[in-house]
Amino acid sequence: MNAILVLLRKDITLFLKDRASISITFFVPFALIYLFGQIYHVNSSDPGPAGIPVAVVNQSDNPAAARLVEALKQEKTFKVLTKFVNPDKTERPLEEGDLRPLMRADEFHFALVIPADVVRTDGIGIHLKTYSNPRNAVEAETVDGLLQKTLFSRVPELLGQSLQARARSFLGDQRLQGFDASIASAIADNFGGDEQRIREHIVAGDLGLGRIGREGGAASPTGTGDVLSRIVKIDNVQVAGAGLKSPMATLLVGGWAVQFLLFAVTASATGLFREKEHGIFQRLLSAPVTRGDILWSKFLYGICLGLAQLVILFLAGHVLYGIEIGGQIGLLVLVCVFAAAACTSFGMLIAAVSPTPESARGLSTFVILLMCAIGGAWFPVSFMPDFIQRFSKLTLVYWSMEGFSQVLWARATLAELLPTLGWLSLMTGAVMGVSVWRFNRGRIFD
Amino acid sequence: MTTPTPLLSAAGVVKRFGSLTALDGVSLDIAPGEFFGLLGPNGAGKSTFMSLVAGLRRLDGGTLTIDGAGVAAGSAKARQALGLVPQHIALYTDLSAERNLRIFGQLYGLRGSELRDRVDHALNAVQLADRREDMVKTFSGGMQRRLNLAAALLHRPRLLLCDEPTVGVDPQSRNAIFDYLQELNRAGLTIIYSTHYMEEATRLCSRIGIIDHGKILALGTIDELLARLPFEEEVRFPATAETAALARELGEQGATETIDGVHRFRPGPRYPMSSFYLLTERHALPPRLFTSQRPTLEALFLQLTGRVLRE
Repeated sequence: MNAILVLLRKDITLFLKDRASISITFFVPFALIYLFGQIYHVNSSDPGPAGIPVAVVNQSDNPAAARLVEALKQEKTFKVLTKFVNPDKTERPLEEGDLRPLMRADEFHFALVIPADVVRTDGIGIHLKTYSNPRNAVEAETVDGLLQKTLFSRVPELLGQSLQARARSFLGDQRLQGFDASIASAIADNFGGDEQRIREHIVAGDLGLGRIGREGGAASPTGTGDVLSRIVKIDNVQVAGAGLKSPMATLLVGGWAVQFLLFAVTASATGLFREKEHGIFQRLLSAPVTRGDILWSKFLYGICLGLAQLVILFLAGHVLYGIEIGGQIGLLVLVCVFAAAACTSFGMLIAAVSPTPESARGLSTFVILLMCAIGGAWFPVSFMPDFIQRFSKLTLVYWSMEGFSQVLWARATLAELLPTLGWLSLMTGAVMGVSVWRFNRGRIFD
Repeated sequence: MTTPTPLLSAAGVVKRFGSLTALDGVSLDIAPGEFFGLLGPNGAGKSTFMSLVAGLRRLDGGTLTIDGAGVAAGSAKARQALGLVPQHIALYTDLSAERNLRIFGQLYGLRGSELRDRVDHALNAVQLADRREDMVKTFSGGMQRRLNLAAALLHRPRLLLCDEPTVGVDPQSRNAIFDYLQELNRAGLTIIYSTHYMEEATRLCSRIGIIDHGKILALGTIDELLARLPFEEEVRFPATAETAALARELGEQGATETIDGVHRFRPGPRYPMSSFYLLTERHALPPRLFTSQRPTLEALFLQLTGRVLRE
C-alpha cells in the first residue's frame, strides 16, 4: 500500500507540473464544450443557425412575391442577397444569369428564383426555382426546410392565388367570380364582417392561414408563424427532466467529458511505455515494489484524474449552460468515479495489448472515437440503426452517459442507479482482468 | 583460514529468451566487500545476469542467493539488501533531484528526518546539493548519472549492482563516480560492476569475471587472469609496408594480430625479446615504431574468444 500511495502521489505531482497535460485534460474539453454549446445553441434564446447566404432573384410583379422576399430577409437563418455589385461598386438587382458564376465563385451556395409565373395556372401550387451547390448536406436541408416553412407560413396567399388560378381555368372567370361572391356572402352572413372585403381577400388568395400563423408566431422557434402548430394541437407530457433547463447540455458535457477522459487516461496508461524506456521499472521492481503496485497506482491515478476532470467539466456545464447538479452532487460524483474507473481500465487495456506507444496511440484513437460514436457521446443512440444500437450497450461510453443522464436529467435515486453502476463495475473488472493478464504476459515490465 | 560466506552465490544459472540462451550455466561467488567486475562485450549476458540478481526476471535454471536467501522475483529480503543502478537514467526527469530521491527513499520505507538526512547525504556525496531543487532534465548527462547512482544508495544496500553506469558520461563525471564507488567499497559495500570497458574493470575491480555468449570464460583477480596469458609482454607497431616483412617473420615466433592498422605481437614462451630487437635492427626499423606493454584484459579476451572486446 505504501508503494501504491508513493507512486500515486508521484504521478499526481508529475501531472501538476505538466502544463500541456493540464490544458489537454481540462481546458481543451472546456473550450470544445463551449464551442459545441454555441453551435447547438444550448440554452440560447436565439436558436438555430444564422447568416446562411441565399441569393434571391424576384422576376414576378406579384405583390405576394415581394412579401416573400421580405419574409426571407427577416429570417435570421438567411442572409438574403438581392443585389449584384458591379466592379465600380454600383449595384443592380440580381438576375438569374448572375447566379451560376457567383455560386462557382463561392459567393453563396443557394439561390431562389421567383419566376414571373410564380402562381401556377396549369395545376395547384407555386412555381419556384432554386439553384444549389450543397457542399454541406445539413446546411442544404436546413435551407430547404426553412424556405418551405417561410413560404407557407409567411406568404400562404401565394398558395391561395394558385387555387384561384386553377379554379379559374376550370370554371371560367365569370363563374369563379360568382363562386367567390357566394363564399364571401356565406362567411359574412354566418360569421360577420364586410362581404366586399372578404371577397377581396378571397380573390387575392388570402384564405386566412397567414393570420392564423401570425397569431401563433411568438411560440415558433424560428420567429415565424407556424400554421400547422396552430391547427394541430398536441399536448406534451414530460415524464423526466420537467423543469430542468437543458438535456442537450447534459449530453454535450457528459459526451465530451467522457471522450476526453478516455484520451487522458489512455495517455496516462501509455505513459507506462515511457517509464519502461527510461528504465524506471527496473529501478522500481528492484525495490520493494511489485508489478501489481505499479498497475494499481496507475489505476488509482486514472480514477483521480478522471474524477477531477468530470467534476470540473460538469461544474463548467453548470456555469455555462445551467446544468442543475444541486442536490445530486453525491450521486454525480459516484457516477464520475465509476465512469473514471471504467475509462481507466480501458486505458490500461490499450497499454497492455499494444506493443509500442505509437501503436497504443493509433489503437486508442480508433477505439475511443468508435466507442464515442456508437456509445452516444456525440448524438443520441436512438439516431443509430438497430444493429449499431445493440453494440452501443457494450461500450463503457454508453453506460457512463446513461449514468450522467440518470443523475442529471431523470434525477434518479441511488437504487435506480445501481444497475448502471453495476454494468460499469462489471466492465471495469473484466477489462482490468484482461489488462493485468496481458501485462504479466507482455514485455512491458522486462 | 576459512573462506568468507559469499554475499552472492550463483550456481549454474541459466536464462533463456525463446531460443536464445542468454546465460548458460553461470557460476560465481562474490564475497562481502568485494568490488567485482563483470566484463564482456555488448550482448554477452551482463545485463541479464544483473536483472536476475535484482529479481527482475525469473531463472530458468540454477540457483542464485543473496546472503543465503534465494533471489526470487518479489523477495522482500533480497530487495532490501540490494541497490540497482540501471543502465538507463532511471529518474523522473520532470521532477527535481531532491523529489526523485525522496520518492525512491519512500519506496524503501524511509520517512521523516531519516529520509531527509539520507537525501541530504546522498546529494552531498554526488556533489549535487546545490542543484537539489532543479529539475533533472536540466542536468548534464554526468550529473544525471551521479543522481542515478545516489538513488540506488538511499536505503543503504549491502550489495550494489551497477549496470554499465558510466555510458555516455564525460571524463570528469566518470572520475567522480569512480571515486565515490571506491569510497563506498572501502566502507564495506559489495559492488558488482558490469562494463564493456576494460579500463574501468581494471581500475575499479578487485576481481573480474569475463563473460561472453552467456558463459563465464575466466574469473579471478587481474593478476590471476593475466597469468593465464602465454606471454608477459605485447609489442605493438604500425602495420605499414615498411614493417610487413618483420610481421611475416614474427608470425613464426608467437601470435601476431593486426587491429586498426596496428600489429600486436605476443612472443611465444620460448622466444626471448632480445631476439626480437635483433630482428628489428636487421630490418633497419627505428625503435620509435615499437611500444611494449604489459598485456591487458583485452588481450586475454582476444585469447579466449578470438575477438576484441568491443566487437
